[in-house]
Amino acid sequence: MVKFFDWLYALFGMKKNVRLGIYGSVNVGKTTIANRISKDWTGEEVGKVSKIPHETRFVQKKEKIELKHKNKKVMINLLDMPGLATKIDYREFIRYGMSKRAAKQRAREATDGVIEAIKWLSNVDTVLAIMDATQDPLTQVNITLLGNLEARKIPVIIVANKIDKRKARPDAIREAFPQYPVVEVSGLKGTNMDKLYEHIAKHAGRAR
Amino acid sequence: MKSVKNIKMDFVSSTVLDDKPRGKRINFILNKVKDGTILVTDGVLHADEEMELIRETMRRVDDGFPGIEVASLKKQTKGAQKMLESLSDQRDKFQSLIAGLTGKAPEKTSMKIGLTLIGPAKLIKKVKKNPDSFSVLTEM
Repeated sequence: MVKFFDWLYALFGMKKNVRLGIYGSVNVGKTTIANRISKDWTGEEVGKVSKIPHETRFVQKKEKIELKHKNKKVMINLLDMPGLATKIDYREFIRYGMSKRAAKQRAREATDGVIEAIKWLSNVDTVLAIMDATQDPLTQVNITLLGNLEARKIPVIIVANKIDKRKARPDAIREAFPQYPVVEVSGLKGTNMDKLYEHIAKHAGRAR
Repeated sequence: MKSVKNIKMDFVSSTVLDDKPRGKRINFILNKVKDGTILVTDGVLHADEEMELIRETMRRVDDGFPGIEVASLKKQTKGAQKMLESLSDQRDKFQSLIAGLTGKAPEKTSMKIGLTLIGPAKLIKKVKKNPDSFSVLTEM
């Protein structure tokens, strides 16, 4: 149905809202970036941020954000996805002080969240692949995500986040994935967000 | 002296996995891994199968099975070999399209040339990946 509407929009030369998916591993700062984008353009945040992994367990949306860069204007629907993971152990949440029951519930919701995020891959137009610049970028989640987006011909911008941290090595991300545009930002401090908006305006919504 | 727990590793030829339809391939892998086996094969799953593997893993996560660790190395193909791989990809896409239109189960697709290790997250503590190699740290 979504594809039918895309076709209809294209047929009549109408501009549709670009579905911008924010993907990445757990705790790389996806919601911090989503909040920063949303706050910069609408004044409102998208979701809650936490140090406990899998805080975002449902797809969080912020629709009709008008993003401008120079004379380019893009209307986006921001989709903040649950973090992708190959393992979710409820015992990890207990270490953050949660009760066993609450930890198990969080783990159940987190597994559903991963499934939901994967399902949404068929319905996004452009992806911001968020990576934590203080961590090794060559993880299977990053490799699988980028491989999948490439196979689906979905434009992707890698966001090297957390560059405000001393341990940050955004150059390692560039070296690992030289074929993709990489924007170095700090979602927390708002550093280089203009560069990210420039890339979004340039890449968002390129035909699949 | 502390007793040492055994770790079972299965080295499975990619032809065994190639012979299975895509859905059954994921099932075969996860059944072994959920049983506590580390599986190594001389092939790499397609990008969409890797994502399907993650999705299916999430469906199977429970108190005793927190998930998997995966590491794969795809052989970089050049020249004629790259062209053959591209043709094979197109064939796979066409087969998937036909399967989608007819409603029949998707046909078998060959794995890409490379190396894959998939194991239970309970056993594999860390996977350190480099562009041309990976090392695996297990925990007993």
